[in-house]
Amino acid sequence: MSITILKPGISASIQDFGRWHYQKDGIPVGGVMDKISSSVANIICGNEVNAALLELTLHGTEIVFNEDAYSCISGEGCNAYINNTKIEFNRLLKIKAFSILKTKPTRYGCRAYLAIAGGFQVNKIMGSASTYAASGIGGINGKNLTTGDIIHFANTINKSVDHSTIQIGENGFGYANWHVNFKHQHNNSNHISIDCVKGPEWNLFNEPSQQYLFNSSFTVSNDSNRMGYRLEGNELSLIQKQEMLSSAVAIGIIQVTPKGQPIILMADAQTIGGYPRIARVSSADISKLAQCRPGDVISFNEITEDESYNKLRELDKKIDQLKISIAMTNR
Amino acid sequence: MIIPRIYSIHDRAITIEFSQTIDEHINMQVIAWQQEIESNPFPGFIECVPAYSSLTIYFGADCNIEELKNQLQQKINIVENTSHLNIAEKKQGVQHIEIPVCYDIEFGFDLPWLTTHLNMSIEDIIQLHIENIYRVYMIGFIPGFPYMGILHSKLEVPRKHNPSLKIPAGSIGIAGKQTGIYPTEIPGGWQIIGRTPLALFNKLNKPACLLKAGDNVRFIPISKKEFDQLQ
Repeated sequence: MSITILKPGISASIQDFGRWHYQKDGIPVGGVMDKISSSVANIICGNEVNAALLELTLHGTEIVFNEDAYSCISGEGCNAYINNTKIEFNRLLKIKAFSILKTKPTRYGCRAYLAIAGGFQVNKIMGSASTYAASGIGGINGKNLTTGDIIHFANTINKSVDHSTIQIGENGFGYANWHVNFKHQHNNSNHISIDCVKGPEWNLFNEPSQQYLFNSSFTVSNDSNRMGYRLEGNELSLIQKQEMLSSAVAIGIIQVTPKGQPIILMADAQTIGGYPRIARVSSADISKLAQCRPGDVISFNEITEDESYNKLRELDKKIDQLKISIAMTNR
Repeated sequence: MIIPRIYSIHDRAITIEFSQTIDEHINMQVIAWQQEIESNPFPGFIECVPAYSSLTIYFGADCNIEELKNQLQQKINIVENTSHLNIAEKKQGVQHIEIPVCYDIEFGFDLPWLTTHLNMSIEDIIQLHIENIYRVYMIGFIPGFPYMGILHSKLEVPRKHNPSLKIPAGSIGIAGKQTGIYPTEIPGGWQIIGRTPLALFNKLNKPACLLKAGDNVRFIPISKKEFDQLQ
C-alpha cells in the first residue's frame, strides 16, 4: 500500500511529534509545526496522535493513492481536491485507488496535514520519522518530499473508528457519516493575536522595546521557515549592549538579534541559542502561530506563566476528549 | 555560594542558570546536576540539555511546573548550602578522547591569516593548540558540534565577519576562548586551523555523537599521509 508524490508543492515533509532525548547532542526536536491540526487528522483516522503524517506547506502538492485508503486532511493553508472535487477537512474519507489529491491556494493559514489510517511506514531515526532536512535526518532519505517519492502505509483502520457506512461516490471518494465537534482556532485572518509570557531576558530590554512588543504589531517576513519566523516591525533593543552566553532554547522562544529583529524559534530551531529572549509564545499557541504565512501580521498579548501553563493543559484535555468522543459515537 | 536562577523557556521546560560565565567549575556543576537528574528522574522527566553554565530540563504533561521549580530550588539550596561544595561530577561516563588532527594548511586554511594576525608561526599556533586538554562544555549549533575550551589566551581571535560558505566536515575551528569541530559541511564563522579524519556525528551510530558535554579532549597532530590512511 502506498502513495506517490507527483509534486511536493511549496514544501511537503513527513513529520510526527519529533525526536526527543537527543537535544543534548545538538539534535532539534523538530516534528509537526501545528500539533493540534496534525492530532485531529490522526485521531479521525484512528491513529495514535503522534503517528507520522504529511505536513503540506501552502499549496501545489499532488499525490496519487496507489491503493484504496482511509484518510483525513486537517489544518489550513490550502484547499484540497480529490479527482478535481473539493474535499472537506476534518472528515474521515475513503479514497479509491488511483485517485489524485491536489492542493490549491487559499487566503489564510500555512500548513495542512494528511493522515492515513494505519499510519505511514517510515524508518525511525533516533525514535522519530520526522524530517530534519538541515541535517539529513528522518523522512525519506533525510529530505523533504520530492517528485517520485513513494511512501508506504499499513492497510489497517482502528476498530473504534466507524468507517462502515462510507460509500465511494463517482469522484472516487466518500465521507464517513460523522463529524467531529472540535473547535480549534482557525486563523481565518491575516492578522492574529498570540499569547506570550515574558522571557528570561525581558528586564534587559529598554522600556520602549517592552512597549513595542505588546502594543505594536509585527509582520512575518518572507525569510521564515520551519526553523524560525523572522518578524518585521519596531526595532527591539537592550538597555545596554551585551553578549549573552549560549543556553538551551525551545520552540516559541522570541529571541532578538543584535540588529533588533525578533525571531520566533519554531520546530526545527537549534537546540542552543545566544540571543536575548524578550518573551516566549505560550506553548498552546504554537499551532496557531504555525498557521501564519509570510506577510501575516501578529499582535502579542501578555499572559502570566500560570495562565500559559493552564492553557496548555486545557488544550491537552480537549484533544483527549476528541479521542474519547470519536470512540463513543462509533460504539 | 551560587544562587541559581530558575526560569521557564516553554510551558514544559525550565532552565537552571548557575551563572553567565564560561568556567570549568560551573560547567562541572551543570553536568553533575544533569547526571543527578538523569540517574534519579522525577515522574514526567523527559530530557536534560546542558549548556556552558545552565541546565535545561524538559518534562511531560503530568508534571506541574511551579512544583518542579520549587523542588529543584530546594534541592539545589540544600546541596549547595550544606556542603559549601559543588556536588562532585560523577566520573563514570566522562570520556578522555584523543582526536587526531592534520594541521596542513590545505585543511587549516585560515592558518596563514592567523600567523599575521597573531604574529606567530604556524608551528607555534599548533603547539599552543595541542598543549591544552579541552573540556567539552556543550554540544549544539548543529548535531554533534562540540564547544570546547579553554583555548590558550594567545590564540584568542574573533569570528569571521563574513562566515565561510562551506566549512568541510571534520574542520577544527577557533573563536574567542573556544575551539570546536564541524561535524558536517556547513557555513561557519570560526577560524579553521586543521581537520580530523574522525566522524563526529553519524545518525546511525549509538550514540550518534563521538563527544558529549563533560568529556575531555586532546588533539594529536598527524601528517597528511596519516590523515589519508585514517579516513
